[in-house]
Amino acid sequence: MAEVRRKSGKPLQVNPHKLSQPMGATLAFLGVDRCMPLMHGAQGCASFAKVMFTRHFCEPIALQTTAVNDVIAVLDGGDYSISESVKNIGDKVAPELIGVHTTGLTETKGDDLRGVASKIDVPLVYVNTPDFKGGLESGWTLTTQALIDQLTEPCDRIDAQKIVLVPHVSLQPIEVEKLRDFIEAFGFKVVAVPDLSSSLDNHLGEKQASLSSGGVTVDALKQLADAAFVVTVGASVKPVGATLQKKNPAIRHHHLDHVSGLQGTDALVAWLLEASGREAPPPVVERWRKRLQDAMLDSHFSIGQTRFLLVAEPDHLAAMAASLREVGGKVALAIATVDSPILGDIEADQVIVGDLEDAENISAAYDLIIGNYHTESLAHRAEKRAVMRGFPNYEEIGNALKHDVLYEGGAYFLFEIANAAERMREAQVHHEREQIKLGRAVSLSG
Amino acid sequence: MSSKPKIKDLLVESACEHNKGKKSSCNAPTPGATTGGCALDGAQIALFPFADAAHLVHGPMSCIGGAWETRLTPTSWSGRDLTQTGFATDINNNDVVFGGEKKLAAAIDHIAASYAPEAVFVYSTCVPALTGDDIDAVCKHRSEKHGIPCVPVHVPGFVGAKNLGSRIAGEAVLQHLIGTKEPEETTPFDINLIGEHNNTGELWRYRHLLEELGIRVLSTFSGDGRIAEIRTAHRAKLNVIVCAKSLVSMTRKMQEQYGIPWISCSFYGKTDTSNGILAIAEALGDADLIARARALIAREEARLDEKLIPYREIFAGKKAVLNTGGNKAWSIASALQDLGIEVVATSVRKSTEADKAKAREYLGENAILMTNPATEQAKVIDDTGAQLLLAGGRSLYTAIKKRIAFTDVNQEKKKSYGGYDGLLVLAEDLINSLQNPVFELVDRKAPWQK
Repeated sequence: MAEVRRKSGKPLQVNPHKLSQPMGATLAFLGVDRCMPLMHGAQGCASFAKVMFTRHFCEPIALQTTAVNDVIAVLDGGDYSISESVKNIGDKVAPELIGVHTTGLTETKGDDLRGVASKIDVPLVYVNTPDFKGGLESGWTLTTQALIDQLTEPCDRIDAQKIVLVPHVSLQPIEVEKLRDFIEAFGFKVVAVPDLSSSLDNHLGEKQASLSSGGVTVDALKQLADAAFVVTVGASVKPVGATLQKKNPAIRHHHLDHVSGLQGTDALVAWLLEASGREAPPPVVERWRKRLQDAMLDSHFSIGQTRFLLVAEPDHLAAMAASLREVGGKVALAIATVDSPILGDIEADQVIVGDLEDAENISAAYDLIIGNYHTESLAHRAEKRAVMRGFPNYEEIGNALKHDVLYEGGAYFLFEIANAAERMREAQVHHEREQIKLGRAVSLSG
Repeated sequence: MSSKPKIKDLLVESACEHNKGKKSSCNAPTPGATTGGCALDGAQIALFPFADAAHLVHGPMSCIGGAWETRLTPTSWSGRDLTQTGFATDINNNDVVFGGEKKLAAAIDHIAASYAPEAVFVYSTCVPALTGDDIDAVCKHRSEKHGIPCVPVHVPGFVGAKNLGSRIAGEAVLQHLIGTKEPEETTPFDINLIGEHNNTGELWRYRHLLEELGIRVLSTFSGDGRIAEIRTAHRAKLNVIVCAKSLVSMTRKMQEQYGIPWISCSFYGKTDTSNGILAIAEALGDADLIARARALIAREEARLDEKLIPYREIFAGKKAVLNTGGNKAWSIASALQDLGIEVVATSVRKSTEADKAKAREYLGENAILMTNPATEQAKVIDDTGAQLLLAGGRSLYTAIKKRIAFTDVNQEKKKSYGGYDGLLVLAEDLINSLQNPVFELVDRKAPWQK
């Protein structure tokens, strides 16, 4: 396994790809239907998050702020700003849920969120997400736990067909939908928590950004505890299994680190066959497995000679590395936003928690980059190519509909990466030939 | 002496028209009903265009994670473009408990060693402001150690909105940079462009015209700016504020300290660009310069008018509704009028009193000034029969529902509409919108709808 460096030795981040805990919380609340995420901090915290997600998803984003100012920062314990916000939101829209999440500012001044929430008489879930701790993944997970902890009613019955699916934060809306449909094809009913597949899936909606327009309903959240299984996908959301089991110890927890590539999807299918008692998967699943097998053979030549830099959240790194490794891709360097237990399982020459300056300093080690929008300019400077994945991607549209997982998405992913690698090599060959025409000595060693 | 600006003084700027009547603060965010960025955001917008300076945000990732490499402010600086480079101390739990000063100092050392910037702007954010990091002391010490200005910019988001942050940025530059260096030479026609950020290259649409007249841009704050130049800004003969009310405090103080008069201009559309060039020449007060400016304006307008002939035919009789903020309420309106489009309504929701008056002046008596465009604009489109909506992305659905053409005018746009030639770009984009079938098609009934 890889050499893992779990801590940056630098006093700063240069060209960071890390995102904050409150941002992860915002996104999780956007996966609840008719929710108004309310970030408890200065107005800029919410504004930065709103602008980022608006540009990434090309969709209006529902998000409000408690707009803490200098006086409130000193004098208020959160009571005034939160209750006043709830009142002002209620004057304009009627949310099914208000999702209060804190920031570094309000955590530093030590607001008592639980105390404030207990005095407010509207449906509200609160979560502590200081941005000087954790990152996007932990903010998403803490919020998912808070939703279950504070809304789900205890239950002692079990609905044998019901599965609660908890996706990690880097799964794009269409991937959550595909995953839900995939599991339902084995005869289950699936509730995804959070569920971005119907809220931020690039659909044309009418009431733009007044509230989240889609996602898991508050009623469904209340009634999660009769599920037969909770399936967590991604190491970051693994703790959510135990959170739901507290509401009903009879719920069984199945965990998958990812559902990418042949083996990742096989593991899911094997479990689904066992859990459903079926002998064989639906025909469409079998067909897609064959297509993925073919895609693997078609792409192995290109990907097998390519050295990759992966830049992403830990769970996303694990998923992409697994897909690429299955066809011989060499992951030279994987850069994570934050530390995670999964980093030790990633097959790569080097796995580090770091920034894009780290990547730039060892650019001789890799050819093709897969990462967020900021890797595009890194690719320009280092004379590489980049394929956009992860948050944020301001450069391209259609991010919510990028499908990289399961047999089907796995095939699309391999094709896209292999094609990008080929175009990169063609450009290099073209460049070398131009140099030869110009009569210059060239090194073909690459 | 602390470099922290007196917020109260900045909020009651005497050169602001609305402060002549009642003293109203520009910044009173309502909890749960606030949009827009904070002071840090405003300071970033104001200062990030200095591509030869490092911009170090002393704060957690919320303050910078999604907000670096997002500014479309190009530079001609030949070194590494530090506008597009993100620096953050990424404050963690330890820094909150034990203080972040050492980390901040080490971060500046890292930047000085690896990126050799002309200056380092250090942006203070909410958390270190609460824990009490002495950013002034760190900056002072590091300035001496590295021999480059390290400028503290005190913009924790809780002090106010973007507008205030922009003013605080102006204060920081005034206090720490302007007047710290003498220019190699001066000319009678040296000006500073204040508040011109060179968004999408707008500065480059008119700067050459000023230079043709012999007007030298001594420095800019801050589009395509250079630290070495802004340090000499105190020797300019005139400050020109470009579309930025928030920086009047800065120019007023420069007038008091250095005797530099200031004027305010816009370079959006033909009329404003001509007015702007002439206003600069007149303010510099040289009869020959004014005559040459008039000749240049006549030449440019004639050149543009000829190119606009085919467009004016297409736009004849077209009506537009404009929903955008601040000075854009009139500056874009003016550009549309240059194209022969009738602007029947504009939003004045975020405009100052002066901007509202100007919008009325430009649009005429019958035009509608919308104070709540989100709810008003659909009805306004119906009442006026407008064919075009120019607004931010949020209003797209209104255009689709009304089946009229839509153009996004907000900062996400990647093209410059400034100066004389920008008008041709705007004209092309508007034609593309008007001729695009998409706005009618997407609202088409599905086969299963009755």
